Amino acid sequence: MRAHTLRLRSGDPWAPYAPDEAMPWDLRRVVHLHRRAGFAATWDELRRDLNDGPEASINRLLEGKSRSCGIPAEFAAFAARLADRALAAPAPDRLKGWWVYRMLFGPDPLTERLTLMWHNHFATGNLKVNDLGLMRRQNETLRALGRAPFGRLLHAMLRDPALLIWLDAAENTKGHPNENLARELMELFTLGIGHYSEDDVKQAARALTGWKLVGDEARFVPTRHDSGTKTILGRTGAFDAAGLAALLLNHPAASRRLAWRLCHEFFGEGVIDDRTLEALAAGLRAHDLDIGWGVATVLRSRRFFDTSNLGNRVSSPVEYAVGAARALEMFGPSPSTPVLADWCARLGQDLFDPPNVGGWPGGRAWITTRSAIGRANFAAGLVEGTPVGLPGPLDAVGLANRHDQGRNPSFFAQLLLGTATPRIPIDDAETARRDIARLLASPEAQRT
Amino acid sequence: MFTRRDFFARSLRDSTLIAMTPTLPGFLARTARAAGAAQDGRILVVVQLDGGNDGINTVVPFRDEGYARYRKAIRLPEKRLIKLNGAIGLHPAMGDAARLLESGRLAIVSGVGYPNPSRSHFRSRAIWQSARFDPREHTGLGWIGRALDGGSPSRDGAPAALLIGPDSPPPALRGRRSVSAALDRLDDYALTGEVHNAPATPADDLGQFLRRSLLDAYATADRFEAVAKGPDSQRSYPESELGRRLRLASRLIKAGLGTRVYYLEQGDYDTHGHQLARHAPLLEDLSSSLRAFLDDLAASRLADRVLVLVFSEFGRRVQENGTMGTDHGTAAPVFLAGPAVRPGLHGTYPSLTDLQDGDLKMSVDFRRVYAAILETWLGLPSRAALGGVFEPLPMLLT
Repeated sequence: MRAHTLRLRSGDPWAPYAPDEAMPWDLRRVVHLHRRAGFAATWDELRRDLNDGPEASINRLLEGKSRSCGIPAEFAAFAARLADRALAAPAPDRLKGWWVYRMLFGPDPLTERLTLMWHNHFATGNLKVNDLGLMRRQNETLRALGRAPFGRLLHAMLRDPALLIWLDAAENTKGHPNENLARELMELFTLGIGHYSEDDVKQAARALTGWKLVGDEARFVPTRHDSGTKTILGRTGAFDAAGLAALLLNHPAASRRLAWRLCHEFFGEGVIDDRTLEALAAGLRAHDLDIGWGVATVLRSRRFFDTSNLGNRVSSPVEYAVGAARALEMFGPSPSTPVLADWCARLGQDLFDPPNVGGWPGGRAWITTRSAIGRANFAAGLVEGTPVGLPGPLDAVGLANRHDQGRNPSFFAQLLLGTATPRIPIDDAETARRDIARLLASPEAQRT
Repeated sequence: MFTRRDFFARSLRDSTLIAMTPTLPGFLARTARAAGAAQDGRILVVVQLDGGNDGINTVVPFRDEGYARYRKAIRLPEKRLIKLNGAIGLHPAMGDAARLLESGRLAIVSGVGYPNPSRSHFRSRAIWQSARFDPREHTGLGWIGRALDGGSPSRDGAPAALLIGPDSPPPALRGRRSVSAALDRLDDYALTGEVHNAPATPADDLGQFLRRSLLDAYATADRFEAVAKGPDSQRSYPESELGRRLRLASRLIKAGLGTRVYYLEQGDYDTHGHQLARHAPLLEDLSSSLRAFLDDLAASRLADRVLVLVFSEFGRRVQENGTMGTDHGTAAPVFLAGPAVRPGLHGTYPSLTDLQDGDLKMSVDFRRVYAAILETWLGLPSRAALGGVFEPLPMLLT
């Protein structure tokens, strides 16, 4: 309740957005909402949201109802079959394809975005885990708890088999500590560097002893656990994993790191200052670190729709590739999702195999010589069709005509960027396709 | 709209080159300003041992009583070591490194580190790569990128620094003006799509960054397309990622690419458990790959132009842990390889009994190694790159 009244006070950095002359609810902002919080949107969805206003549009996104087309009737069952087959093979590229399938065809793009955000936060790589079943399971946990109070997710991760393998947890036993999990738990998952000492890491490692994998389950083995007294972050007690997690969750630095994580995901360069970040952290503390509250607060905020937050973020490979396929309505026939996942890997974002436990740095680091060439090649391949597993080229003229936009040279810029330029004449199929590829390869299309 | 080749052809003929600077590829812009300063052909190859290499089991101080005291399960028997003198020996898997030493092509600097060491992979990597201790300076530029900013541009439009590997160029290579890139295979840069230059409308900082990055990328694509048409090395390399990447570096060097710094990573040094079986193949791969690389270059009479630096973000704890491995530590040996080194051991090996918080005390600041590489080898000023004046460690011949 306290946070609620805070929000109403003038000068609250997280005040909700209401359209006005300076920040009208226009196509640019509708496109912004879908590209930042989902994976772009189709023309019909953009028109609908432009018509219905921000509140209805944001609510639909939060409720997993933002997509009006391209969702297969048997989506959930078919997605599950894709994952089962990937595990049975076993084929990592098909599990990556499963996730891309969920992003491209699922009803709830925001949840997939948050799952990706947590994959980056608890960055776990199958190259070491080497078990697709455990990677899928971790992914399902991130999806199920991605909007829960963070404590639930953290506790689940501390028992997540993939994460425990990734960070050598089974090697950490009484009298034989292994600090890998303890360090990353503090440095990356909760507090951030600078909020703990080397001795805290050593003591936390003791608290985390005793966990091992039995079959595919994390089990606590009391004889392997160091039940002695530890002093961590100035508190003394016989901490175990749950006690340590509770201690870390109560630390103000954890709320700040979570606020940073949300802002990193939903804001571009130079929009969020320290005061704004701290206000979100304070709100999270007042709401039991409830991520769902944080996400809703961010997406409803004036700050999110502020002109300074439009187009000031480099899109990630997954946002770039899935968003383009989605906006261009490549639903039937659709690109091969393992092939799309492979393109994302070539562009620098290999799902289920982040570069290291720190995840993908993101931002301008997405744009390298190799990825710039890769993005140009992807754009060409997407409209040509066969390089992404489509039977033939994009029917750009048909798409525009279907929406009565065949005479609107701004149609593709509006659809993909939310802007009126560059203009693309829609007379000749071949030329329109080439122009769309050039548009997708242009500097402007790499920002969102 | 026109293709990138049209664009370059037009730009190069355009007398308003300087006025267009923000939209030009970095190398063209700098060439226009620097008017082609004389090019030093010396090359640095950096190999980063990722994860924290256990220096104590790499260059082994077998006479130090601390070695037997703290290393029990993972102690390397003295009789199997490749002895360098009466107190120090190389890991038995490093036969090829020993042969480099015998032929005067390997220098080992002991106990390299920095004050108040961090045991975080990320923080320590950031310190080694930026040569800065303030975390606020860890998101920006790197020691190599900064140094290359002070040099002349590559003569052929190639990136000044190149990561050979699947990831993005590491922060060490980031400069304000100098261009870095990454490639893992030559065909990474084959451009199939059409690209065009966006109209030169006023752009914000991010817009300018994107425009310049894309133009740099297309210029680099053209250069690699030319290299890919040339021959590959005939020499044999180990069948490893490191071997393959060094072979690619050699091919690019032989093709006359203007790149001055190549950066490679060898992973999996984070040996928290079962270290003996994991560590030996890594060191063997490293030694054999380095020897193959230097022999290959020597056969092409190019070895004299190349210096290799091998480092890791930290060494490991002196006391082994309970899982037959080692946790994160501090100072460790650094290797320099190539005909330009003063071969043998440099610096003082830290004592294994006089420890600080269970870790080795460093004896050589890593920035003295960098200073020698920049000043003595690459002929680049080191002060701005390293954020201070450091006496170059006398480990190079010239």
